[in-house]
Amino acid sequence: MTADSVPAGDDPRRLLADSRRLAHRVRLAQRVTWFPLLVLAAVTFVAIPVQRWAPRAVSNCQPIAGGTRCTFWLVGAFVYWVLALVLAYALIAGCYLRVAQSRGLSSRVAPYVITGIALAVVLTAGGLVFHYLLTPPYPGVLVGVWRLVEPSGAIGVALLVLSWLERHLALLLFTVVYLVVVLVPITFGWGSHWGSRWGFAPSLVISGGLLMLGGLGFLLTQRRGRQR
Amino acid sequence: MSDPTDAPEPTGPAHPANGLDDVVHQRVRLGILTIAHEARRVEFGYLRTQLELTGGNLSQHLGVLETAGLIEVEKGYAGRRARTWVTLTQAGHTALAEEIARLKLLISRVETPGGQ
Repeated sequence: MTADSVPAGDDPRRLLADSRRLAHRVRLAQRVTWFPLLVLAAVTFVAIPVQRWAPRAVSNCQPIAGGTRCTFWLVGAFVYWVLALVLAYALIAGCYLRVAQSRGLSSRVAPYVITGIALAVVLTAGGLVFHYLLTPPYPGVLVGVWRLVEPSGAIGVALLVLSWLERHLALLLFTVVYLVVVLVPITFGWGSHWGSRWGFAPSLVISGGLLMLGGLGFLLTQRRGRQR
Repeated sequence: MSDPTDAPEPTGPAHPANGLDDVVHQRVRLGILTIAHEARRVEFGYLRTQLELTGGNLSQHLGVLETAGLIEVEKGYAGRRARTWVTLTQAGHTALAEEIARLKLLISRVETPGGQ
């Protein structure tokens, strides 16, 4: 060991442990995990009537046995998702800043803004590529990619980024479950014969419901933690 | 997001204790730097509560760090209430990262057989 003296109170192990503990406390004080989940759940639920009634572009209609097969693009819903998610992330960034300030801290807002912008870019690019460059039915790999770049999947990817930014293990685990549900669509059979107007609803109800339950779970956990 | 507690260990023949900065190598001041780094900007009251200090004691430590150019202290108002905000300077970020790296190196030298 060195001949240099180190004050007992400044023991390296203790200093490092204190430093980590304080950094962790700051992260906990800055977290409002329930808020983005509830906002994204609301965005998902509102998407249901939007997708049902918003204008859609119909093209490539071809006669087939027993009717006509057309390709349609939910233009209105597409615009809704991009705008809604950008607004949602602006709201989330604002909330994080406000909560942190109320606790005597500031917060890094840039990651949330960047995530929101990246989400909008991915959604726009994905939607345009799948609409203009590819023709259904898509091969298996592309179906997986499509599910990742469609709104529910993109929300999962964004949550994955947030869990990393916040170093939040519970959010990471929740996001993995969410992505599994989104990538392996579960409908319990309902909605399969509802046609193009309502057929998408079950998956949105399930992904929105999961986000809402997650948000409420994190809210309760956070409240209990503060009461202790 | 960078984390000083994840900083790489410095290399070199000198013993890490030789490079310890007395300004930073102190429990309270290291705590102030850590919190300010993580929070980007922190209020005086938060520091006082978390570090369990009196206002006068905390002011003294802040004075040492400010004189060393590691933090900036900004006074202002939030509504009618006076507030004091502390922000880390670039030199403060560097000093914190170096201190953490040296602490890790010290610990690893103590824990590694023959590493004294």
